Amino acid sequence: MKTFQTFLILVSGLFFLSSQALAVKIEISAPGEQTIPLAIAPLQPLAAPVPEIAKEFQQVLENDLDLSGLFDPVDPAAFLDDARRLGLRSSEVDFAQWRLLGAESLIKGAYRVEGEKLTIELRLYDVITRRLLTGRRYVGKLKDVRRIAHGFADQVLLSTTGELGPFSSKIAFISKRSGRKELYLMDVDGHNPQRLTNHQSIVLNPDFSPTRKELIFTSYDKGNPDLYRKEIYTGRESRLSMKEGLNIGGRYSPDGRELALTLSKDGNSELYLLGTDGTIHKRLTNHYGIDVDPSWSPDGHKIAFVSDRRGNPNVFIIDVHNEEVRRLTFEGKYNATPAWSPKGDRIAFARLENNRFDIYTIRPDGSDERRLTFGAGSKEHPRWSSDGRFLVYSLEEQGKKSVHVMRADGTGNRKISTPGSDDSHPAWSGRW
Amino acid sequence: MQKSMKCLVLMFLLLSLMISGCAKKPVATDEPLVEVEETTVVVDPEQPMAVVEEPIDEAALAREAAEAAEQRAKSGLERIHFEFDQYVLTDGAKQTLADNAALLKAAPNVEVQIEGHCDERGSDEYNLALGEKRALATKNYLVSLGVPASRMSTISYGEELPLDFAQTEEAWAKNRRAEFKIRR
Repeated sequence: MKTFQTFLILVSGLFFLSSQALAVKIEISAPGEQTIPLAIAPLQPLAAPVPEIAKEFQQVLENDLDLSGLFDPVDPAAFLDDARRLGLRSSEVDFAQWRLLGAESLIKGAYRVEGEKLTIELRLYDVITRRLLTGRRYVGKLKDVRRIAHGFADQVLLSTTGELGPFSSKIAFISKRSGRKELYLMDVDGHNPQRLTNHQSIVLNPDFSPTRKELIFTSYDKGNPDLYRKEIYTGRESRLSMKEGLNIGGRYSPDGRELALTLSKDGNSELYLLGTDGTIHKRLTNHYGIDVDPSWSPDGHKIAFVSDRRGNPNVFIIDVHNEEVRRLTFEGKYNATPAWSPKGDRIAFARLENNRFDIYTIRPDGSDERRLTFGAGSKEHPRWSSDGRFLVYSLEEQGKKSVHVMRADGTGNRKISTPGSDDSHPAWSGRW
Repeated sequence: MQKSMKCLVLMFLLLSLMISGCAKKPVATDEPLVEVEETTVVVDPEQPMAVVEEPIDEAALAREAAEAAEQRAKSGLERIHFEFDQYVLTDGAKQTLADNAALLKAAPNVEVQIEGHCDERGSDEYNLALGEKRALATKNYLVSLGVPASRMSTISYGEELPLDFAQTEEAWAKNRRAEFKIRR
């Protein structure tokens, strides 16, 4: 135990030094601009080999690191004999070999399977300085292999950029897999989809609590679009807001103490703030137009939302304290579904043009608008990962909807939905 | 059977009397009078007048009429359509609503839920709000035509329940609508 603690201190000390050195080099918000040649040596068995485990681990880790856009993989076909050597310690690794291949970072690891128990030990090295950037040992069950890979990918990002990756988090989404729209949960790579509701009605637009393992969503279960809360692990479910008319678009405040949503109890859609017990704290908007789709700024002082108060639907920003409203989007004829980056620097939204949506981002002051998506299909519902590096969104093509992820600059697009499923309205959890 | 026939005959007689009584100008009343006479003759030519003398159950008649009106309202309420991103009623929609209002007023026991729907193109949340505005615009117009507000509720389904899943202008136009569902 003691040695483990010393090891941890040592590791974190090393990490501190190295991340200081490296964080300056890597610009987090512009992935892909500068990539590090990375070699991922195959996991070596410490006991009887179980090739499927090693392979699955490798696939998950490679996929996560590829999505990060920070690395340029060194072709495994070129690997020399150190790739098959068990030595994980810095004194045992033949760095010269890896340097020869052009690798600047190196991941080496080993695993042991004992019955259902799985142990994986992993190291990330800086090949140039021959320094350990991070070392981690994971002990779990065989079925945890994907979790371990995601967890280590998060650590690799931490060591490389100074900020933990989001690969261990979850994505909630709405799927029609069962025939009706229900709420589901899955890993960030689309694996382990899990159905959370069985309303056999219409379930819409989920949002994660930032502080608890909990989701809010709208459902027509009792005939009216009411707002529900669901504890993910206990399965406990309750109705949070059931005013006459709409109870939609619920979004937790960044501190988790309040939620913003649209109610239409007085005959027109307006934004309100609710307590977590469902009582109304405050009415935010007061306009005969449509006011929907709130999204909090990370400091909790402002809310971006959609309104048609000046004609076409556009994104506006309201100050939560003095209720001052200013318009954010001026281009295009139909701008909707804003999502404020957890970093605060940009707001993603979808713009309807030629009968289909594409995703854009813009600074909160209205400058520097950028289009992120191109090509066929309608892309909607952008939502950020908790580190602001990635966006998840839904794409509709020929009547079929699926969930996709991409980097914050629009590169690295990939579909994560199971082929053939009808998935939409994703939401990315915070740290899980 | 026999009895109801008699009833019918009586109704016709009454009706014809009413019509002839009301209409002072002979031109318009010629045809129905002739018809009624013919019917009476054909239905029961040998029936002595005395037997026809029966009490008239006005309540039953009213009930039957009410039921008929109710049936007409339940099956006759037409949906209306909207322009893209609009909840303003078109002239065509207003005409349809005038017919719907007449049906509803004739059947005071019928209560309806007005559903607002949108095409798939807008954003989901915006469309939920838009669908509600469509349902409310529909309800308010019917109220202005004399249908009591208490008999109508509204709900929005946004773009969740399209009539036509095709991605064409025609399908979208069909899906932008307000519908009437009988409550109870």
